[in-house]
Amino acid sequence: MGEGPGTPAPASEKKEEKVMRNAPRTALALGVGAVTTALLLSGCTPGGDSGDTTGPITDEQREEALSTPTELTFWTWVPDIENEVALFEEAYPEIDVTVENVGQGLVHYQKLRSAIEAGEGAPDVAQVEYQYIPSFVLPESLLDLTPYGADDLADGYVGWAWNQVSPGDEVWAIPQDVGPMGNLYREDILAAAGITEPPATYDDYAVAAKAVKDATGSYISNLGATQAGQMIGFFWQAGIKPFGYDGSETVKIDVNSAEAKEVATYWTELIQADLISTDVDFNDTWYQGLANGKYAGWLTAAWAPVFLQGTAESTSGLWRAAPLPQWSAGEEVSGNWGGSSDAVLASSENPIAAYELAKFINNDEESAMMLATEQFLYPPQVSVLEDPTFVDQQSEFYGGQEVNKLFAEISTTVDTDFEWVPFMDYVYSTYEETMGTVIADKGDIAAALDVWQDELVKYAEDQGFTVE
Amino acid sequence: MTSTETRAAVTIGDATGSRRAARHFAPERRRSTLLTVLLWLCVLYFVLPLWWLLVSSTKDNAALFTTFGLWFGGDFSLWENLQTLFSVRDGIFTRWLVNTFVYSISAAVGATLLSTMAGYAFAKYEFPGKRALFSATLGAIMIPLTALALPTYLLFSSAGLTDTPWAVIVPSLVSPFGVYLMRVYSADAIPDGLIEAARVDGAGEFRIFWQVGLRLLGPGLVTVFLFSLVATWNNYFLPLIMLNSSDLYPITVGLAQLQSAASQGGGSQALFSTVITGSLVSIVPLVLAFLFLQRYWQSGLATGSVKE
Amino acid sequence: MSNSPALTVERPSAAPPPKRRASTTKRKQHLAAYLFLLPFFVVFITMLVVPLVYSGYLSLFESKLIGGEVFTGLGNYVRAITDPLFLEGLGRVGLFFIVQVPIMLGLALFFALALDSFRARGSKAIRLLIYMPYAVPAVVATLMWGYLYGPDFGPIAQISRAVGLGTPDFLSAENMLGSMMNIVTWEFVGYNMIIMYAALRSIPTELYEAAEIDGAGQFRLAWSIKIPAIRPAILLTIIFSVIGSFQLFAEPSLLSIIAPNVVINSYTPNFYAYNLAFVNQELNYAASIAFLLGIVIAVVSYIVQLGAQRRERRERGLS
Repeated sequence: MGEGPGTPAPASEKKEEKVMRNAPRTALALGVGAVTTALLLSGCTPGGDSGDTTGPITDEQREEALSTPTELTFWTWVPDIENEVALFEEAYPEIDVTVENVGQGLVHYQKLRSAIEAGEGAPDVAQVEYQYIPSFVLPESLLDLTPYGADDLADGYVGWAWNQVSPGDEVWAIPQDVGPMGNLYREDILAAAGITEPPATYDDYAVAAKAVKDATGSYISNLGATQAGQMIGFFWQAGIKPFGYDGSETVKIDVNSAEAKEVATYWTELIQADLISTDVDFNDTWYQGLANGKYAGWLTAAWAPVFLQGTAESTSGLWRAAPLPQWSAGEEVSGNWGGSSDAVLASSENPIAAYELAKFINNDEESAMMLATEQFLYPPQVSVLEDPTFVDQQSEFYGGQEVNKLFAEISTTVDTDFEWVPFMDYVYSTYEETMGTVIADKGDIAAALDVWQDELVKYAEDQGFTVE
Repeated sequence: MTSTETRAAVTIGDATGSRRAARHFAPERRRSTLLTVLLWLCVLYFVLPLWWLLVSSTKDNAALFTTFGLWFGGDFSLWENLQTLFSVRDGIFTRWLVNTFVYSISAAVGATLLSTMAGYAFAKYEFPGKRALFSATLGAIMIPLTALALPTYLLFSSAGLTDTPWAVIVPSLVSPFGVYLMRVYSADAIPDGLIEAARVDGAGEFRIFWQVGLRLLGPGLVTVFLFSLVATWNNYFLPLIMLNSSDLYPITVGLAQLQSAASQGGGSQALFSTVITGSLVSIVPLVLAFLFLQRYWQSGLATGSVKE
Repeated sequence: MSNSPALTVERPSAAPPPKRRASTTKRKQHLAAYLFLLPFFVVFITMLVVPLVYSGYLSLFESKLIGGEVFTGLGNYVRAITDPLFLEGLGRVGLFFIVQVPIMLGLALFFALALDSFRARGSKAIRLLIYMPYAVPAVVATLMWGYLYGPDFGPIAQISRAVGLGTPDFLSAENMLGSMMNIVTWEFVGYNMIIMYAALRSIPTELYEAAEIDGAGQFRLAWSIKIPAIRPAILLTIIFSVIGSFQLFAEPSLLSIIAPNVVINSYTPNFYAYNLAFVNQELNYAASIAFLLGIVIAVVSYIVQLGAQRRERRERGLS
């Protein structure tokens, strides 16, 4: 343990806290009997290996780490990421990386948390979506990457994406992909309703929604009843800051601000007029709705164009992409929905190599381009966003439109400092219960925001946070 | 099947057979058309979902959503679906099948052995603490196992056993119902006189169990074996939390992962039909096992369920 | 948890101790018995008792994201019995038990009796086909029914529309519990039928012959001879059903993927405990919910058995 050259030291108080947290467990073990005692004790002090050096890692240390035979584990659900990892292993033949897909989304985080809690079996590097980063920062499960030189990468990223991994002085992860939001729509269906330009403002959008429904029977788009990510993306675009976290014990929860209620009321009205559908998204019924014209569009993120292409093959050539409608004419702002980063876990025994892996996957020229063009993850790296091989791609599915270029432009309009709270799992799951039911039943979404707010504040206070 | 088991089955079979024979041949039974029709209509309810599964696995993704669910339609794509299924992620489905076999068979063999020894002891011995131990065993059926998942996970993890086959097999070795069944079955199938006689002949307790007891317990063994097999085969929750490497997944967890990949895009949209075909493939072995072993488990249950 | 009279009744036939043996022989036999029990109980203790004790221990603490673990005594239990989400979930599985179990066991009993009467053609095939769903993993069963229930492409909706009945919404808040009952019924009727059928098959024939000579009809035969004779088997299936319904987990957890706004995280207590532990990160509270659930199950099982015994006593008194 801890032989990795120059591991920066986690502060010693952290260690004590860990031990304290595990104290009851140890006490129990003593009571239960010999077998279990052994079982439990051996697992009681997770992670916390340390060297004594603080300060930046030197080049020699890096050299040494990368030329020492090392095994790394990488948890991610990006399909075929083995190809990018192979590039890394080619560059550093001494490092052997095992890629595991332990599940997508919630399952992935559950497993990650269980492994961290158990102090055993956690990976060195893990995919973490932006909104979940604080929930791993809070229990000190992630390694601050600044001593490893992560700061230097900041300029290579679009600003708002970098802020997601580095809201303060520390850098908690390396951005992998993002989801700046835009509007994908069926040109033919809108045209059939006499609409030739994508709606520029939300007022236009409401008018268009009516025209489309009347003329064709299609919904102009679907608002996923339980899709918190989409709604939060709309908030993000509107400049609403529902969440905040100071990195220690204070959180901000303000999901029912006047501005948020305006957004909610806008959607409530469209839904109640039956101009927007509220099907649960990402299931087979919804897929078919995209393919058979039930929905004439989808307000979604930059990862969606390729996704849609696979889902609604039969409608190839009929789709177009545009920026989101705006709240006031002439504005150009967007929000973000989705995207991931790669974080190094504090428990990693080979933090330098782990950091290099996370960095390489997302910053090596070839690897970053592969992620963008083969796995179709929408890139946050400036270099890729400016690379003609990426942005000049014309897409048949979108009638030859340069969709990547459009989203690259949108990407520069995303509000820069959107924050999260360190318990987004709970935020999302209560969204389904408080907001989801109301949205599905075509109820008053603005009123549901109050209920959601109360639930969140109560949970945060119960958990010992100070709520701003 | 070993010859001892077959012989035991015959013995029991004879006993019940003669008891029943009279009834079979006694009054010439009148067939009731009404009852026949009614029962077959009910059978439809149980079979239709499986029929749907069979039909759907012959459809490609497009036909799945455009044709009537309970009849064939579109191109016949069963072979393509099977091909995709077995080639997805470098043929990992085969691996999942093999894992499922290994886990369920080892867990079932182990559970049967442990239950049989315990059940035999409860049935054939008097010893202090018997009542308490047996009550504890039965009471265990009431523990909501999912709720123990995390503590169990933490314990396994402390022992460094998570993400290994042991994490799935060892917890599946506990089968309180199996103990109950084997107790009842042993009490019924092994005459005390036989044990006494063996003791008089100077045989040790273990030899008696091994050579006299097991021989007579055939159908009971098969019953407990099958029930443990099904329980492990169908278990989703335990492997879900214990395993991280997809190489170690059993089919249930693998299928659920494919399903969630299917519903989140996952780079390939052909997955719905793959998941459906995978579901079909996953139930075939169990159905076959039940068909071929039905003679044994039915008589095993017959004894187990009437006696208190 | 020693309240299983129906299951634990000692059979007098179980080896009456042979008179006056040397006590060494007896001790040897005790030792042998313990050795036979040892492997089972080693696994039993490590896999069930230890996690249970551990979990009980954890339930006495409160863990917060800020501040870590603090001893609260019975605080979590107090919170649980006033937690509307837990109580609603409990009510839901209670309703499930009251509605679904009689239907499922009624069907199972009907099939068992019908098959035992040998009046239907193809009895053997019927038996196997009804039993087959038991071999289908809950994961697959729920996935299948999820498709079948689908409002747009599900065959049930397709047929219903073709007949002009509109689109039934199986996955709505009002219908979800019923849809779940249907899945569980589909899965387990066959299993319960087999247990009852097996019991019917081993009723001594003499009992029938007398009645049949008396000219008793099939229904009377079933009612006054067969059903009383397999009462222990029926009781067994009821107990299993108590446990099964109150611990409902796989079906809600899988259906929550299709209808997350209906199958909320606290839909059933077991699913709630799981979500508390893994989503809300309230492991300690989850442990106390699990304990309370276990107690509820034990109490309900006990009441069921008590009811059965009283009934039996009453009937014995009458005859």
